[in-house]
Amino acid sequence: MKHQMAKQMVLFSVIGTMVAMAFMASSIIFPHPLLLVLAMSIGQGIAIFALALFLLAVALDLQSSGVAYIPVDEPVPETGVEAGTEAGSETPPAPPAP
Amino acid sequence: MLHLQSTEQLLKVIALACAALSVAIGIWYLVRRPHLHRATKTLLLLGLGVFPLIVSLTGNIASFEYTLTRPFCGSCHVMGPYLRDAEDPKSNSLAAMHSRNHKFGENSCYTCHADYQMLGAVTTKMNGMRHLFKYVTEYASTGPDGEGGPPIHLYKPFKSEACMQCHSMTAKKYLEQHADQIEQMRSGDVACIDCHNEVHPLALSRRASARREEK
Repeated sequence: MKHQMAKQMVLFSVIGTMVAMAFMASSIIFPHPLLLVLAMSIGQGIAIFALALFLLAVALDLQSSGVAYIPVDEPVPETGVEAGTEAGSETPPAPPAP
Repeated sequence: MLHLQSTEQLLKVIALACAALSVAIGIWYLVRRPHLHRATKTLLLLGLGVFPLIVSLTGNIASFEYTLTRPFCGSCHVMGPYLRDAEDPKSNSLAAMHSRNHKFGENSCYTCHADYQMLGAVTTKMNGMRHLFKYVTEYASTGPDGEGGPPIHLYKPFKSEACMQCHSMTAKKYLEQHADQIEQMRSGDVACIDCHNEVHPLALSRRASARREEK
């Protein structure tokens, strides 16, 4: 659940950043006063919001330990690393049974 | 071969390159929709954090530098007559003569009209925001040179400090020529442009609304 939410947040963050980049690039190419003000206010506001959203998504993702990252039907890489630990290596391996 | 003539141009190129990289990473993510592995997160951190930050910093500096130039001031159509007069090599107005001075260069509007204080740049830019608001609300559809809008005027009286950035009030020649007014000048009761008032004469005479007021 958290992983899905994180993916949605990253998606919005990517779209937001692209919109912000469009504002900023247009103000550099066509430096009209109105475009400059829009880029420096709305453009930068969207960019900051998008970055905050991305960082929040990463935090959520780390919280969910990345267990649900790789769908069941996707082959597990044979590197000796477990599926859940590739993306979320923060999860310590389970201790051996006594 | 790309020729960069100033720091402003270099900053613009850096900003545009970083914006392009950021957008490229965004498009890659939207097309591929990869899983949030560590490598994906790192790449997204570059695309959503590092590159936009560089665009923001370099873009702001480059834009600020551009806002000091005469073409930027003239980019609002109401400033057209002022810009044409300032750039006219035959004009004898103070604006034109100062604009021809290489010490002012492209920044002649800003040099004379910026507030001369520690926070002068800040207050000048705040006034610039006010200009923009007035421009959008009062001059948007007022003819090619803003003839249909209200006459343009300064928000506050033009202070002699702007002139004194270059013209000394203690030079011998100045003291000789201004012996009668020197105390009033120093106290601020009389400003330079009270007598030297041919600042933007041609520009004002070109404006229909200004002409109507004169009549």
